[in-house]
Amino acid sequence: MNTTRRMTMGLLAGAASLGLGIGAVQAQDKEIVIGGSLPMTGVFAFAGLAVEKGMQDYISMVNEAGGIDGYTVRLAYEDTGYKVDQSVAVFNKLTSQEDIHLYYGDSTGFAKTIAPELARSGDMIMGGASFASELNDPEAYPYTFIPGPDYSEMLDILLEYIAQETPGASIALINSDTEFGRDPIKPAKAKAEELGLDVVLEIITPPGAVDVSTEVLKLRRARPDYAIFHGYVLAPQPEFISQAKELGLDTKFMGTFWSMDSSLWAGVGEAADGYMGVMPYRYYYDEDGDAPMLAKIREMQPEYVSTGYMQGFLSAMLMVESAKRVLDAGEEMTGANLKAALNSIEDFDTGGIMGLPISVPGNSVPVGRVYQFSASEGKMLPVSDWISVE
Amino acid sequence: MNPDFLFFIEVSLAGLGSGALLALTALAYVLIYKATRVVNLAVSEVLMLGGYLFFAFAAGWNFSPWLALPLAIIGGGIVGGIVERGLIRPMLGENPISVFMVTVGLGSILVGLTELMWGADPRTLPAFISTKPLFLGEAYVSRKIAVTFVVAAVAMGIFLALFRFWRGGVALRATATDQAAAYSCGINVPGVFSVAWIVGCATAAGAGVLLGAIGGISTTMGVFGLSALVVVIIGGLDSILGALIGGLALGLIQSWAGTYLGGEYSSVVTFGLLIVAIVIRPFGLFGTHEIERL
Amino acid sequence: MIIGTAKETYRADESLLTTQPQRVWLAIFAASLVALPFVVNDYWLYLTCLVAINVAAATGLNILTGFTGLVSLGHAAFMAVGAYTVAWLETNLGTPFWVNLIAAGLVAAALGILVGLPSLKVKGLYLAIATIAASFILHFCFVHFDGITGGATGINIPPLTIFGAELTTYFSLYWVIMPVTVLMVLGAANLFRTRIGRAFIAIRDRDISAEVLGIPLLRYKLMSFSIASFYAGMAGGLWAYFFRVVTPESFPLLTSIFLLAAIIVGGMGTILGGILGAVFMTLAPELLRYGVEWISPLVPNAGALLSPVRTVVFGALIVGFLIFEPQGLAEIIQRIRRFFRLWPFRT
Repeated sequence: MNTTRRMTMGLLAGAASLGLGIGAVQAQDKEIVIGGSLPMTGVFAFAGLAVEKGMQDYISMVNEAGGIDGYTVRLAYEDTGYKVDQSVAVFNKLTSQEDIHLYYGDSTGFAKTIAPELARSGDMIMGGASFASELNDPEAYPYTFIPGPDYSEMLDILLEYIAQETPGASIALINSDTEFGRDPIKPAKAKAEELGLDVVLEIITPPGAVDVSTEVLKLRRARPDYAIFHGYVLAPQPEFISQAKELGLDTKFMGTFWSMDSSLWAGVGEAADGYMGVMPYRYYYDEDGDAPMLAKIREMQPEYVSTGYMQGFLSAMLMVESAKRVLDAGEEMTGANLKAALNSIEDFDTGGIMGLPISVPGNSVPVGRVYQFSASEGKMLPVSDWISVE
Repeated sequence: MNPDFLFFIEVSLAGLGSGALLALTALAYVLIYKATRVVNLAVSEVLMLGGYLFFAFAAGWNFSPWLALPLAIIGGGIVGGIVERGLIRPMLGENPISVFMVTVGLGSILVGLTELMWGADPRTLPAFISTKPLFLGEAYVSRKIAVTFVVAAVAMGIFLALFRFWRGGVALRATATDQAAAYSCGINVPGVFSVAWIVGCATAAGAGVLLGAIGGISTTMGVFGLSALVVVIIGGLDSILGALIGGLALGLIQSWAGTYLGGEYSSVVTFGLLIVAIVIRPFGLFGTHEIERL
Repeated sequence: MIIGTAKETYRADESLLTTQPQRVWLAIFAASLVALPFVVNDYWLYLTCLVAINVAAATGLNILTGFTGLVSLGHAAFMAVGAYTVAWLETNLGTPFWVNLIAAGLVAAALGILVGLPSLKVKGLYLAIATIAASFILHFCFVHFDGITGGATGINIPPLTIFGAELTTYFSLYWVIMPVTVLMVLGAANLFRTRIGRAFIAIRDRDISAEVLGIPLLRYKLMSFSIASFYAGMAGGLWAYFFRVVTPESFPLLTSIFLLAAIIVGGMGTILGGILGAVFMTLAPELLRYGVEWISPLVPNAGALLSPVRTVVFGALIVGFLIFEPQGLAEIIQRIRRFFRLWPFRT
């Protein structure tokens, strides 16, 4: 008897809070909702949490400045645990509850899965955490965009940097045996050949591989000038690097966006020193150059925020800018109009988040810079100028 | 020395090192199977938990690694004891598949709890093994791998000796051979069950610390346990010697396949071997014949 | 109050529905399936379609594991085979969808026979582990046979087309997925009214006696594998039309565990169990999502709890049902039915 009463109370309380929630939604009418399938938990949680913070900060900045044409912006998101079916479920739940024209997706798999639905509904454009080269095709993915260079463009940036520094250098490509890892291998090999670089070794590591000593042995045999990792976040890169260093290899190790966060490498210690990689955005602590937006971010976030934050921040910026252009033109918020507005972005000033004024000619923003980790400072320091490919 | 031959030797040494770790993990399966006839798939997750416990003690509470290591092992043992008493004992006499699925479910619970406690980010363990390279003659060996090999070999040796000479070890072997007879000889069979689970899970937790020291820890590191399961199936579910030889052999094969065919082939070779082994000798190279009827 | 059902003919004894209330309930259920898409929103429609696909796959696994007693942890790999078959046929030949679906089933069934071959030599756990191994090998094939499977990026699938109309909304897909699932479940229910189905049960209960009774073990075990794989292949085909992309990572080992968990929770060896389990296990994580929404005003950062709590609940359901209710949800339903049959004379 007692339990039932308690349960009833609980149900009532739940129903009441649900009612309140609905009331809150109805209270605001003129708003633009950005939907999001965000990985707040699971293997990609570190990124999802940072992305969410970045998006929220930009959105609150916009709202404090009066919103866009009287519209307030709001982020409606749910956790996906970085699983494609969950992301799709969240997408369907959010789109059936809210009127959504802008969306942030959490994985390549999700972006590919939902693309036909985007094409069918024609309601929205979608950015996301995936930089997959495949998505960088406006024909096949008309309503998708990548808030930075895609993975093969990232490798292009690295290769151009290498070709400049050490013409004719030998290179090893180290990739994980996943869709993520295999993404840029073919185009990177073609690009290397074009630049006169020599790909001497290709290593594919099985997912979840722990012991890399056999791979290090291969590396020692090939003795490449540069080794480029792709398809990892952190492990097994530190082990690779420390073993290679102890063997007296002077190979320089490089990585791509998702393994470029400096707090990741700060925990690794001495072995991380000299690790390089491509990064499309400025780091939180980067005070060079004209970057008023970074100053604002430092005001809002007194502590270091990761690269995922910048990615979310810039994603929100591009989304809001597209929506603003559509509203200014007095057009309807449809996927096609939003995408056209996004593509009309030319020499756009991101307030220093990206070092060059950016344009979005297709699905990506092919700009980036090579950074190098300094273990003594615990920071990523720029070693190249901003490189724009294509 | 011919460089190609030297390379082959180095690759083989690395394979033996990771094989030793496989053998140690396989030992956890064997101990538990021998006593209770349960294939405990949650060994993989206890392994992961061991890594995280070490992380919690060494990085969270700043204990010395040499204190954190035994604490992590003890922690694994406690989990094993609780699981045996709480989940496995009530399932005694049930269909082996049901018990197997209980351990699968248990694995899921452990992963979820670990994620609740420590989050899902992959982490690195505080360094406690020196990283200076080691040379056997001309051949290079990663020191972590060498340490792992030595630790695993010592642990194996201790277990083999215990089974021969310690009363508890003999009791375990007696229970494995014939439960009813063991009972009537006055052996505390439920006690043996508990001890087997505690020691098995403690071993797995220790292996987890070693694995974490090499490759860092994450909630998905339990995948390693599947390779160790292949080892026990090939070596024989109830044979410690089988775990040892099977582990070293699989380590070597994986290492060769990874080097000469490419990293993506190592799992297909592993599981291909497993199917061949199951079809030809389902009871394993060193296992007892009767378990075929499982 | 019904105290018993008098069966006067063998036909009556064999029939699927024996009492009037059963027929009434089933009619109500069928009517509600028809009405459902008109009343729920896209989100619930999406979940319903997903449930239907899982029901089809779980029913297949139930035939193999629940009725024949052969445990498989590689069922998801056969779904993947079906999905790839549909994807390949759609993109390369453009054959009609029902041809593709049946082909998906047949290709999966053929592979199922191959994977089932060790089943004569080993059973139980060894078979389960052999099927895990088979699914890893199939995964390797999906990644490396790029000519057929599109390698690591997989294949994008054009929408399902019927009479020239493209079905892209969940509403329209429902009218393909649900009827196919219903047909498959009916097929499974009827299978156990035939010699083949009864032979499966005989093998499960005691394989040696079954062989003595004149049931060739190899043939029937392989038949069970092929039927189960056929179901998985069809379900995978529906999945492919539903999600419109298939990659090697679409069907991980976890999906196989999920399906096995579904029939354990639902109740092995009953058709109803397979259905209930798949429905329950698909919807439970979504209900947790609402649970998290409710507590989120009280608990800070409740959203971050969702995924680990789901993982724990998933495991706890498997463990809990195995220990406390090994017959699964189907048994609970039976108990409720028995209660109402005698109500109010016995409570």
